[in-house]
Amino acid sequence: MRKFFPVEELARDSRFTQINMRQAQADPRTALVGPNAARRAKTNRLTPSRPDASEAARALMHGIFVGEIQALEGAGRTCHDFETATGSNSAAGTETDSVPFALKLDMARQAWDESRHVEISVKLGEWMGAEIGQFAENTVLFEAACSTDPVMRLAGVNRALEGLAIDVFTTMKEFGEVAGDPFLGFCEDWMLADEVTHVKMGSDWLRKVTENDPERRARALEFQSIVDKLFSFGGTRSESSDSPIGLARRFRELAGFTSDEVDEIADVSLAALEDRKAFAAAAMSSSGMSSSGMAADE
Amino acid sequence: MADPYKPRTPFAPWDRRQLPGLFDVEESARRIGNYKWAEMKLFETLGGWVATVPELDVKMRLGTHCYHHAWHAELWHKRLPELREMNPDRLTKPANDAMVRFIEALSEPEAAEQTIEKLVGVYRVFIPHFIAAYTFHRNNTSEITDAPTIRSLNFALHDELEDWRDGEMLLQSLIETPAEVDRAAAHQARLEKIMLEAGGIAGPGSIGVE
Repeated sequence: MRKFFPVEELARDSRFTQINMRQAQADPRTALVGPNAARRAKTNRLTPSRPDASEAARALMHGIFVGEIQALEGAGRTCHDFETATGSNSAAGTETDSVPFALKLDMARQAWDESRHVEISVKLGEWMGAEIGQFAENTVLFEAACSTDPVMRLAGVNRALEGLAIDVFTTMKEFGEVAGDPFLGFCEDWMLADEVTHVKMGSDWLRKVTENDPERRARALEFQSIVDKLFSFGGTRSESSDSPIGLARRFRELAGFTSDEVDEIADVSLAALEDRKAFAAAAMSSSGMSSSGMAADE
Repeated sequence: MADPYKPRTPFAPWDRRQLPGLFDVEESARRIGNYKWAEMKLFETLGGWVATVPELDVKMRLGTHCYHHAWHAELWHKRLPELREMNPDRLTKPANDAMVRFIEALSEPEAAEQTIEKLVGVYRVFIPHFIAAYTFHRNNTSEITDAPTIRSLNFALHDELEDWRDGEMLLQSLIETPAEVDRAAAHQARLEKIMLEAGGIAGPGSIGVE
């Protein structure tokens, strides 16, 4: 088996359809401008009162499901792709091709947690009326787990992606509670507890492994910032009411983020939201449709 | 009320544990170093395979079992210093070269169409050999002096037996044609021959027979 597995070869059964981030953002059903925007209420936050709440919740649950599969695959690959550091290097894993034994144990633990999350997501999806493969799978999450430097994976996956999971699960938990769903809030809260642990794992290992290598730490944090913007799903997660998913400040702080770091993610997410609106407007303009959803010549 | 000062036997009549055991401290540490190495290779392989198998139920089982074997490796890692091995890396090694070749052959299948080979290697060859070596160790080491190893062996054996059942049932559900029976058997035979050469997880004598 090769070290480093390409995202294009992720193994899936025939129900799955995979797309990249640009294809996902160009989907008019999720655009923040155009005809859908006109039909939506003042706030775009996922709440039971939204006319499209059921479908939006099913789509989000399916997104969680495929995200958990990729998180499972990423954690598993980190167990496999790097040598176990030995000798004086064993505690910190300062070489880019090796990781400490204890870090691998944490990744194996995360693989088990993500397996359970896939199981939970499948059952919740069924409960909500969704089917596996009903929505496309955006593979951007696994791409962050493909770096050849384990520290980049910690930054991109454990801190950025798992951080996003904290925000998503918090939003879904609140949605379940407001909707009076007997299972949603319960399950999301359990998954949220695991995700806080995963983010803390990432924060702790990032600090430890780069303790004596400030340049490597800076590169990793820069990568995290890029991934954070990417994982903001072009504004799907931010503190603006235009975003369906909020930013879970309290849980992020429990997971080891500083207030400054959370502020930075909030800023990045808002910027991503504006980029997304501009991108969607440009896409509609090139297809001859105005941002209000009317044909340009009408 | 019974007299608390009345002398009682140190070992209750139902406690039949024996002092003698087959392994001294050095031999126990050597075996445990081999177990740790083998468990590490297994959890790394299972983790790597998760992304390569299209079957969703298999994918989730591999992720779960990956952690079981990582935890076993951790148990052995913690036991080594208690057996006077202050540098656990020194004894964390394969029993012999044949074990290295076994791991290479075990982890070789990668294609999405090779789930049967992946599962056969783990659940029809590797894990049965873990069960054999752990059972021999548990039943032959001193029940009193080596009690901490026995406790870890029992935890690990519980997982191995449960995981073996999971894996075997997955295999039975995946094998649908006579040709697939042949594929599974051929891969099992190939790996068993290398394991035979290795003599088991801890080398010759893994289950007492040299």
